[in-house]
Amino acid sequence: MTTRTDAELVAAASSGDVDAFAMLSRRYRDAYTRFAIRMVGNRDEAEDVLQSAFIRAFRALRSCRDPARFSAWLYRIVANECRTYVVRRARRERRIVRDEVAFEAAGVDPAVDARETLEDVEYALAQLDVDQREAFLMKHVEDLSYEEMADITGVGVSALKMRVKRACARLRELLEEVHDV
Amino acid sequence: MSDDRKQDDEAFGERVARLLRPVERFDDNFETDLVSAIRADRTIETRPLALAWWSTPRTLRLSPLVGLAMAASLAAVVSLGTLGLARTRSHGLEPKLAMVHDTVNVVRFVFVGQAKTVSLVGDFNAWGAQPVSLERTGTDGAWTASVPLHNGRHEYAFIVDGQRWVADPFAPSTSDEFNTSSSIITVGS
Repeated sequence: MTTRTDAELVAAASSGDVDAFAMLSRRYRDAYTRFAIRMVGNRDEAEDVLQSAFIRAFRALRSCRDPARFSAWLYRIVANECRTYVVRRARRERRIVRDEVAFEAAGVDPAVDARETLEDVEYALAQLDVDQREAFLMKHVEDLSYEEMADITGVGVSALKMRVKRACARLRELLEEVHDV
Repeated sequence: MSDDRKQDDEAFGERVARLLRPVERFDDNFETDLVSAIRADRTIETRPLALAWWSTPRTLRLSPLVGLAMAASLAAVVSLGTLGLARTRSHGLEPKLAMVHDTVNVVRFVFVGQAKTVSLVGDFNAWGAQPVSLERTGTDGAWTASVPLHNGRHEYAFIVDGQRWVADPFAPSTSDEFNTSSSIITVGS
């Protein structure tokens, strides 16, 4: 069976073929799930945010000027949706979001003997401002190059390097505080 | 930054990131929910009652008073559309609006320009999920379509020859996060 290309699926979905869009979703959803969960800090909320981002993408498909690069275009929408959600939530309520599933996972994580636990890191990550969190996750967790990050975020490479550097410094401070308690 | 410090930062980033790196997945209900949400969204956006009225006008039952009001309003649509066309020959594009009754408004969209096909996309048809094709009028280069819209603010644009996105330069505009311009029409205010 021939696999339909992104461009073919985008063209079909642009004409209202929701099943074609579901195929695109299946193709790329996993690639953005971890990023969304780490950005939002909660699995259930991240799923809602990802759904919302994909619906937004479906509505805007006709503005995807280069369907062959659909994945980068979609990543941009996912990143924007995560940022918007995090900022709005922070305005609504100052709080630390913790994921119960992640807590449980932390208890059996093979890296639990490392200096930091997943719980500590998630706590610290939640304290970063959204720009730094996004940059840190893209660079160190998603393993993107600075050029790829610049393409997705629209921010220059130098500024992104600075965000990653500050994110690392802030994370270090926060994790040291946690261990001092 | 010294090389030692840079390496230290890299090592720290790597150590922290390692905990965050396990792959996360949502189950296949994700697509089921997504498709349902999009279909539901399309239903909301396209206002099935209004479209049903538009596509099958002869089935609509009206009281005599409402029928008279509608007849007068439809005349106004044609009249406004004609006036709009006369103006858009110099202005380019312009939607025209007339009240049919208190919940459904017929907006006449006019596009003037060289094209093989023209369609209308907007938030009212899920940005092309159910595209509205404009038809050529007797006037050279003029295309029109009339669309029932509910009161409120709507965003729209034209798709020329199936690929060129054209916003109305004479209507208020808005841009999305990719700097794609769309036009705004407010109905019923």
